[in-house]
Amino acid sequence: MAEYTIKVRRFQPESGEGPYWEQFEVDLDPSLSVLDGLLQAKDKEDGSLAVRCSCRAAICGSCGMKVNGQSTLGCKTQIGEAQEQADKMVGATGVSAAVADSPIRGEGSDLGSAGNPIVIEPMGNMPVIKDLITDMESTHWTKIRRVTPWLLPHGEPPEREYVVDPESMIDITQSMACIQCGACVSSCLSMEADPDFIGPAALAKAYRFVGDPRDAETQERLHDLAEDPHGIYDCTHCFSCIDACPKGVAPMDQIMRLRRRAGEEGIEDPNSGHDHEMAFVKIIEKKGTLDESLLLQESFAPGVKGKLKPSKRAIKEMLGSIPTAIRGIKTGKMRSLPKLIPGVHHKLPGGAQDDVQAIYRHAETHNEEFNLYIKGEEGELAEDDVEKGIERSTEPAGQEASNGQ
Amino acid sequence: MPSHDVLVIGAGLAGQRAALAAAEEGVSVGIISKVHPVRSHSNAAQGGINAALNPGDSWESHAFDTIKGSDYLGDQDAVEVMTREAPEEILHLEHLGVTFHRNEEGKLGTRAFGGASAARTYYVADITGQAIMHVLYEQLMKYSEQIARYEEWFCSSLALDENGECCGVVTRNVADGSMELFQAKSVILCTGGNGQVWRPTTNALICTGDGIAMAYRAGAKLMDMEMIQYHPTTLAGKGFLITEGARGEGAHLLNANGERFMEKYAPNKMELASRDVVSRAEQTEINEGRGFPDGTVALDITVVPKKRVHEALREIVLVGRDFAGVDITREPIHIKPGNHYTMGGVKTDIDGRTDIPGLYSAGETACVSVHGGNRLGANSLLDTLIFGKRSGRDAAARAKRNDYTRPSRKVLEDEENLIADLMSREKGSGRRISEIKLELGQTMDGKVAVFRDEAGIQEALEIVKRLKEEAKTAYIDDHGSVFNQDLIAAIELGYMLDNAECTCVAALERKESRGAQYRTDYPERNDEEWLKHIDLERTDDGPELSYSEVTITQWEPQERTY
Amino acid sequence: MASENIKVAYWPGCVSRGFTPELHGSMALVAERLGIELVELDRANCCGAGVIAEHNQELADTLNARTFALAQQTGLSMMNICSTCQGAQSECQQRLDADSAYRAHVNEALSGQGLSYEKGEEGGWTNKNFLWLLVEDYGLDRLAAQVKRPLSGLRVGPFYGCYIVRPKERLGYNHFPDRDIYLEKVIETLGGQIVEYDGARKCCGFPVITMNRETSLRQAGTHVGDAIDAGADCLVTPCPLCHLNLDMQQPEAAKVVNRDLGLAVLHLPQLVGLALGADPKELGMGKHIASTRWVEERLTSGVAA
Repeated sequence: MAEYTIKVRRFQPESGEGPYWEQFEVDLDPSLSVLDGLLQAKDKEDGSLAVRCSCRAAICGSCGMKVNGQSTLGCKTQIGEAQEQADKMVGATGVSAAVADSPIRGEGSDLGSAGNPIVIEPMGNMPVIKDLITDMESTHWTKIRRVTPWLLPHGEPPEREYVVDPESMIDITQSMACIQCGACVSSCLSMEADPDFIGPAALAKAYRFVGDPRDAETQERLHDLAEDPHGIYDCTHCFSCIDACPKGVAPMDQIMRLRRRAGEEGIEDPNSGHDHEMAFVKIIEKKGTLDESLLLQESFAPGVKGKLKPSKRAIKEMLGSIPTAIRGIKTGKMRSLPKLIPGVHHKLPGGAQDDVQAIYRHAETHNEEFNLYIKGEEGELAEDDVEKGIERSTEPAGQEASNGQ
Repeated sequence: MPSHDVLVIGAGLAGQRAALAAAEEGVSVGIISKVHPVRSHSNAAQGGINAALNPGDSWESHAFDTIKGSDYLGDQDAVEVMTREAPEEILHLEHLGVTFHRNEEGKLGTRAFGGASAARTYYVADITGQAIMHVLYEQLMKYSEQIARYEEWFCSSLALDENGECCGVVTRNVADGSMELFQAKSVILCTGGNGQVWRPTTNALICTGDGIAMAYRAGAKLMDMEMIQYHPTTLAGKGFLITEGARGEGAHLLNANGERFMEKYAPNKMELASRDVVSRAEQTEINEGRGFPDGTVALDITVVPKKRVHEALREIVLVGRDFAGVDITREPIHIKPGNHYTMGGVKTDIDGRTDIPGLYSAGETACVSVHGGNRLGANSLLDTLIFGKRSGRDAAARAKRNDYTRPSRKVLEDEENLIADLMSREKGSGRRISEIKLELGQTMDGKVAVFRDEAGIQEALEIVKRLKEEAKTAYIDDHGSVFNQDLIAAIELGYMLDNAECTCVAALERKESRGAQYRTDYPERNDEEWLKHIDLERTDDGPELSYSEVTITQWEPQERTY
Repeated sequence: MASENIKVAYWPGCVSRGFTPELHGSMALVAERLGIELVELDRANCCGAGVIAEHNQELADTLNARTFALAQQTGLSMMNICSTCQGAQSECQQRLDADSAYRAHVNEALSGQGLSYEKGEEGGWTNKNFLWLLVEDYGLDRLAAQVKRPLSGLRVGPFYGCYIVRPKERLGYNHFPDRDIYLEKVIETLGGQIVEYDGARKCCGFPVITMNRETSLRQAGTHVGDAIDAGADCLVTPCPLCHLNLDMQQPEAAKVVNRDLGLAVLHLPQLVGLALGADPKELGMGKHIASTRWVEERLTSGVAA
């Protein structure tokens, strides 16, 4: 048993006052969860402390919250570990400036000190209803419904089951593992800057259908998500959702897979996201390292046609980058020709560029997508099983237990 | 007053399935849930769902396994219906989009499960319940025009009309505290089980027996309330579930001496004997001193190929790591029997009808009974879907035949008065709700669990009665309207106490051991005197006992060994 | 380890030789003064920055396997000076290390060049950002001993860059849980004052600068603004791509968030170099868009906070 101080961001809508902090002292085993700590405070001290919770085992997705600034499930975060995290930081990782009591520390002080309170806040990117309870309906669920989250098969179903590639069902199990807890939405940095971004939860859910061979509207879905300016190309690639997700769904990875699929279908998006992606790929094939000015140009006006007849957006963006270029020239950052003129950048020296191109040929032919979530780490599997003398059969064990009682 | 032809209370698998089935019949449907539907406890059902879909299998075989598993207390006509309709239901789910596991041919694949004579468990990794429920919720979103959802509304009382027929329900909108009287032609209770009456339990905090208590208070009969399943593999202390699927994949149970003790108790099926048999075996090992100091035995999953663990038992890997600090692929994990499932509940027929016209029930709330004295793994999901569907259809048919009757506003006023009373109690005027809950849970887990006897159950009953009195003066801290969870907890406590009282009374009454009920003072099964259901009906003096027949069609009761 | 001379295979990345040449120059200067020998991998290719992986994962893995193999040829562990390289490369390395069949498949593409990526033993061959190397291999005590001009009175806000702090599980946080406070430790060791502010571990917006300029610059502008409000004299970052959005785009970002900014953004080697006594000009600070004059004034006046 150990004592902890939890500092909770509270809000009583009927009080007429704004949000405030309240500290509770709780006493529990370090291996129990932050949620257990909150429930102890609720049970013993103040039953009005509102928090959604149900299963306590990271399955129902009710208890999304921010612990020391990190979006996660309260029931999955061990309170002992949360204390270590709190002690590590000056004012705790990523905690808003409003929280840190003194953002500037004096000289000679140690980094972190034991016994900092564990900071608990409601999820971000959502309106707060009361204490740790947020309005998921207007944010999370609205965005989920945006992606038409039900199967759209073609015609009548078959008599028995749809016959599908077994790999495809395993592949979308990663998206299916989502428990709709909202931690990814809470942590999404794109959404913080652009609240209209469809978001990680909804896009991961969208992949569940795009990757399902029984769904007949793959094209339509991809077009929809790619052509929405707040769709798949609005993700700022920050990994926050991957870190926040308690179930390994890795929403950002699903978004990237959607980009890949959209690209394969040749879908042009209004954000020039696909053009940007292809520009980068092609530049490295030709030059081996990045030609920034060429990247800029190709992202907006790719290829010969693009440069002769650039779109309105391309013109706007490229003209818009001129002031930046001028500043770069003034300070001397970008004074050389290779930097300024797109395409003049050097190749890799000594035949290395040929080596890079050989890699391109090999990889573009095979294009294998190795998914760690599905494959797992192999090394231990083979050795351990051999040690145990286990045969690696594909039939589940227990199949033989089919004699009568 | 909001009205719907069919009103479903509870939005887990049974409730969602009932709503969809009713909507298919063209009637107006409302579904009420005290939490967001996807938070329902159905999502914790990990291992799989049974159906005799394989050509080499038969519904009769599935039925027999279920009936034997029930220790012959299951009503065989109901079991036949369930196992007959199971294959079609699986295909229906697959057509809706459930991402079932496939074999190499791309067709539905199975795994082995406890008490089954053939591999007939269909699954999605180890998140089957979650996967099915999320797909059903997708359908609810698709049909949001036809099915009105009331998410985070709490039901506190059923409404009956002057003829004693169910015509509505009193609810509270949790978000703003407003009380509403709903009108309906048929009401279906799908509120799940009552595991929170025991502590620890695998069940979520929301499993407080709401529907069972509401039906009981309205005068409907409850059945088999003594039949409470203790799951063999739960984590000590926290009560988290380790799916039976682990044993299905070949995991072993070991005592502290490293012995695979199931050999003594179920030499044929070993770890895959039915749950009550395994739980009793474990508890015996523990009671006789062959368990670990923390009151557990060991589940050894290290014998399962790691690749298979990664594919099909990923959830347990996470549970082991996050909640027990154990890498299950490297070392055994300590487990013990824990409260898990309510076989008993509101007495219904095979179409979900209770003995109150207009009131239906399905899923864990109901007792048809298909599980009798003990439920087989992977039959619970099936139960919710088959009887959710049947209740929905029958409720819709009833709605088409009838007109609305008006629920009296008195029932709403009574509820509002009760709440006002609760809110008015001074701090310190009685005990805290959480204290009473804790004492209830520990009492029931201590005295009405795997092994029971008369003295123990009697003590528990006395304590429950005392706690009921104490609940009348227990106070709450929150007197607000918005998201007042304190108030909800107080009402739920009342439900839990009613559930507990009924369980004690029924357990005292059944002077034999059958299925999950094991009386050390009556250790034998006694078909001559006790092959019958124990029914309970509410009176002002407590539950009144009666009996009903067990329906037997094809299978005469035999000795039950594994 | 801390007393030996450190020699590393050095991957400078693309942008340090492109739009942030001051990074390349200051790293060379600082390495010399610290006694870190850099063996530059001048034939190595871009890490893909996560963008190539988006298009074709195997391509990104193979390109980075080539870089790793080139480094392994020197017999040395690798060092990078870019959070984005660190993140993109660690992701590829995780996949390559996870499965021997996949690794063999990738090495097929390299065999023609006489290269092969070998999975290292636990704790053997590594690829570390300069920030990690400084703390874990060089050592903060050793660094402190080299400080000639303590950054007293300089209030520094750390800006990490997403790719070096998330996702934790593949960036070695199990073994090195403090990696997400290393900038703070370095600032403190160099005598500076740490300024905590909301955006320290958030996204600079660079990945979407062409796709959604407003979202991109709003992020950059907001984080710079928060640092200013928290009293920072400058930011320090181990990522040149972040530097582009925070420094080069700072005037544009200011327009998007509708406030004056003007906060200096230093590369990590520049901050270290200042503490070692180097001249701001030598460190290329004159090339920055957001003026670094205020930083230089703070240092020369040596005024305590």
